[in-house]
Amino acid sequence: MNIFKELKKGIIELNPTFVLVLGLCPTLAVSTSVDNAIGMGISATFVLICSNILISAIRKFVPRLVRIPTFIVIIATFVTIVQITLQAYLPPLYEALGIYVPLIVVNCIILGRAEAFASKNPVLYSIADGIGIGIGFTVALILISFLREVFGTGRIRLFGHEIFKLPVLGSHPLLVFILPPGAFLVIALILGLFRYTGVIKGE
Amino acid sequence: MDKRKALKKGLIFTAFLALIVFISGVALTVTYRLVQDRIIQQKRIKVEKMIKGIFSDMTDYTYDKDEDLYLIYSSGNLIGYAFLAKGKGYGGEIDILVGLEDENTVKGIRIVRHSETPGLGSRITGDFFLAQFKNINIDDVFLKSEGGKIDAITGSTISSKAVTEAVYKAAKEKVRLLEK
Repeated sequence: MNIFKELKKGIIELNPTFVLVLGLCPTLAVSTSVDNAIGMGISATFVLICSNILISAIRKFVPRLVRIPTFIVIIATFVTIVQITLQAYLPPLYEALGIYVPLIVVNCIILGRAEAFASKNPVLYSIADGIGIGIGFTVALILISFLREVFGTGRIRLFGHEIFKLPVLGSHPLLVFILPPGAFLVIALILGLFRYTGVIKGE
Repeated sequence: MDKRKALKKGLIFTAFLALIVFISGVALTVTYRLVQDRIIQQKRIKVEKMIKGIFSDMTDYTYDKDEDLYLIYSSGNLIGYAFLAKGKGYGGEIDILVGLEDENTVKGIRIVRHSETPGLGSRITGDFFLAQFKNINIDDVFLKSEGGKIDAITGSTISSKAVTEAVYKAAKEKVRLLEK
């Protein structure tokens, strides 16, 4: 086992969105703009790394029967810390992410990694796993939201600055991409494309 | 004997969970204490910025807690009032900051918080929509289809109507208070 491998696997081989297909609910909901995707990705990654470290550190003391409630409490604590910190220092992001920050608690990616990896592996590897899966989640979110924002609004805005605006789409955007059906369409098409071209191998 | 063992085990689990929850509670309390002031400050800055956006010549303001009303001053003179109105939009509640110049005129409005559909209802925060509320008689705060002077946003009639209704209702209510 080497650390670099643990880090890399989360991005491609075990990509939480495209391979594990976990945590789709927040993915569908926040991928309306690249801004939101970055914010959600970083918040979830932070929670994932923190919970992985702590859960891995106490893995030998946690009684098997009550491990799930223990993980949930730990994850919920980190999420609440992220939530009030965002509220204090980045209120615009806090408002944009809305209900989806508290929902990180039930994001099955985080509980999934706690149960499948952190509770069985040493701290260092768990950190690498958290970073890798976190990056994988963030990259997937950015990819989906980029396509949705481009087609749905005809432009890309990053932190209040317009990066570019397409000529025809800019004035007549395909609104469906910003709305919930667009999320399903984009995710399904990307998943299909990745499987078809063999970039990602399904089980 | 077995029963005793099971009981003991159960107690250990309970104690373990209680300990975890206790640590979590302490961590949260400490974090909240640390950032508490900043959260309140951020909220104040936001409201202040929005009031300033409506009353550009504001120099000072006071907040009347009983009436839930901001009194706006320009170098000592009272130039208007501001308050929060709540509307029911398509995606949930819409919080609107309303500025009144006098008992008849709306000076301007700003959207504080909303959860309307991005790209559709969310355009209630756009200049096109908000500019229509500049220096308008309270009795004209209706959509044009209802005999007022506000153009609804194409494809977002519900959100547009929620804003006009909330502004009208809250403004009338506050004016009644002010006239007392």
